Order: sequence, then structure tokens, then C-alpha cells
Amino acid sequence: MGSSVHKIIVIVGFISLFHSAFSAAQHRSYLRITSQEFTTLPLDIVVQAVASLFAVMWGVLNVAGNLREIPAAAELNTVKWENQRNLPSFYIFNHRGRALADNYMPSGGKCELENVE
Amino acid sequence: MSYNFEELTYNEAKDLLRQWRENNERRSEDVMELWTTVFSDDLTKLGNEKHLVLEQVIYAALDCHAYGVATLCIYMLSNEFPGSMRVMRYKAALLEAEEKYEEALEVLDSIIKADETNAAARKRRVAILKAQGLITEAIKELVDYLKKFMSDVEAWQELCSLYLQVQEYSRAAFCAEELILHQPHNHLMHQRLADIRYTMGGVENMELAKTYYCQALKLNPENMRALLGLFLTTNNLLNHYKSSGNSGKRKEVWKLCQWAQSGAARRQRAARAPPTPDLTHMMLALAITD
Repeated sequence: MGSSVHKIIVIVGFISLFHSAFSAAQHRSYLRITSQEFTTLPLDIVVQAVASLFAVMWGVLNVAGNLREIPAAAELNTVKWENQRNLPSFYIFNHRGRALADNYMPSGGKCELENVE
Repeated sequence: MSYNFEELTYNEAKDLLRQWRENNERRSEDVMELWTTVFSDDLTKLGNEKHLVLEQVIYAALDCHAYGVATLCIYMLSNEFPGSMRVMRYKAALLEAEEKYEEALEVLDSIIKADETNAAARKRRVAILKAQGLITEAIKELVDYLKKFMSDVEAWQELCSLYLQVQEYSRAAFCAEELILHQPHNHLMHQRLADIRYTMGGVENMELAKTYYCQALKLNPENMRALLGLFLTTNNLLNHYKSSGNSGKRKEVWKLCQWAQSGAARRQRAARAPPTPDLTHMMLALAITD
């Protein structure tokens, strides 16, 4: 709802901007026909141009939607601690994972303990 | 998340392996599964990723006690690159997995002798000490390594966790600070240091923990662990300030505590919200009505 108002402001602003450009051109041709020297544009055209420019800027800012914060490291935020702490160059292999393998024969301490009993 | 490996096409499987490699995920069992169902018959289609995949499979096989597969992959690699230091390192890893630590160390020492700057081989030496359970020796070795290679983030992280294993919290905190210097935008590093400070205890450390948890939350508002940590530290500080009667600080901490609690509660509600309507719907469907 709010954005449609802003869209109208943008459109009206653009029309007004083009209109001021057109009146400036008209003014120059009028001066040429009446063979006067060009000094400055009339104040109303300048005011109209500047005002419509600001109207367009304000309208575009609002049409484009809310501004978002720039996160310092958005791609780092998807990293999980599980992946961060996983260091391939320090992998050790004598963990319990190998006990899941079907061809694994436990060796050493635990076996001897069982044999004693 | 589980995948149906038999339905994956060759390229999908390849992408999956690459994704795991780049995200630094271990997932050894899944890698082995993929290897046996998809890749082991035909390696030629892998193109220039072939050697990377082989390396990935070697570590996965060592993890899963599939030494046959690991030996085969190492054999393939050493056929292609005879005398390569990198392949030698995998041979050492195989020896290490078979608990032949002395032989593995010999292989690594020969690599280091041939190439003084081989950082990876030096790191494997630390890993071997760690595998034998000689944590203090591993720490000594790693400190020596870090004197030579000071900008190695992985090594600092490993040293941090080794110090935590032997409960040298202040040294672990130093390592964590070093990690923050290396990656100031990584929220996990701030969270880690805050965890360590919280574990150390004491008012000063609690204050530091609070600051680092806040920084972690600022970098990533989704970090639940930091949010809960902040709640715990502020609770702790609140107890302290209540007895010491520092009203200004107490008020500030109280505010922070409230904020953390409401944030955590909001997250919990959000996580709980979706199933509820479904459940009532299902109960209504179950009800016997005319």
C-alpha cells in the first residue's frame, strides 16, 4: 500500500523532471527567437527540476524496499562447529569407529582382561 | 540427512564428494558407501578430480577399518606419482592406522629429512603422538612446530583443543585468542574463547566470556550456543554482583540476562510452533464424530 504511493511519487517526479527539461529547452528557443542573450534559467524551472529530482530519489529509495545491514562475514555464519573443528591434517584413526567394521578384531588390553577371567 | 546412494548419478555423487571435501566434513562411512556403489568400478570419468577423490577415500577407508581399500588407493596413487612425498604421507597414515607407530614415524622422518619445509608431515607426527595418548608430548611437538610455522590456523586450533584435554585453560585461551586474530569475523572462534573463559570461572573471566559471547552474537545472531552461554554467564555475574552490591553493573547485566533469555525463549517457540497445528489437526481427524 505504501509502496504504491511511492511509485506514484516516482512517476510524477519523472514527469515533472522531464517537463522541467522541456521548459528549459523551450526557454532557450524562445530566447533565440527574440534574440536575447542567455544568462540563467528562470528560477521556477530550476526549483522544479531540483524538487522533482529529490522527489524521485526519495520515491526510489522507498520503492526499492528496506535496506539491510551488511553482515561482516555472512559466508562464515553457515559454518558449523562440527566442520570447523574437523582438521584433516590431525586425523587419528584409532577411534571407536573401526569397531563397527565387520573384519575388526579387538586386540590388546580388553581381550587379555577377558581371558584372565 | 541420509542419501539413497544407489539412485545417485555419477555426477551427483561427484558433486556430493566435492561438497564434503570443501565443507571439511569427515563423513567417512558415507564416502566409503559412495566409493563402493559408484566410483570403484570406473575412475576415468572423474577427470581431474580423480586424485583428490582418491585421497578423500584413503582417509575414509582408514576411518572405517577398510585397510584393503586404502592400500589399493595408495597403490594407484603411487603408481602415478612414484616417489611423491604426498603419497608417502598416506603410506605413513596407513601404518599409523595399523598401530605401527614406530614405522610411521620413520617414514615421516624420512620425508622431513628430504624436505625441511614439509608442514603436513610435521603435523602428522603430532597426530601420531596424539593417537598414542601422549598428549603432553604432542603439545611439546606442536609448540615446536608453531615456532616455525606461526600462521598455521589449523595447528593453533589443534593446540587449543590439546590444551583443553589436559585442562590448561589459560594456555588454551591464548591459542583461542590467536585464532581470533587470524579469523576475526568467525563467530565460532569468539564463541570458543568465551566457552573457555566461562569454564575457567571467576568474575574477570566471566566478564570476558560475556564480552566474547556478545561479539559472537553480533557476528551471527543465529548462534544458539552463544545465546545460552550469554544467559549462563550473566546469571553467574548477577549472583556475584548481588552479593558485592555493585548496582550499576548489576543493572546492566540484568538487562543483558533478560535479553538473552527472551531471545532464547523466542527461538524455542519458533522451533516448536509448526508441529502444533498439525497435531491438533490429526487429533481432530482421529476423533470419532458424526
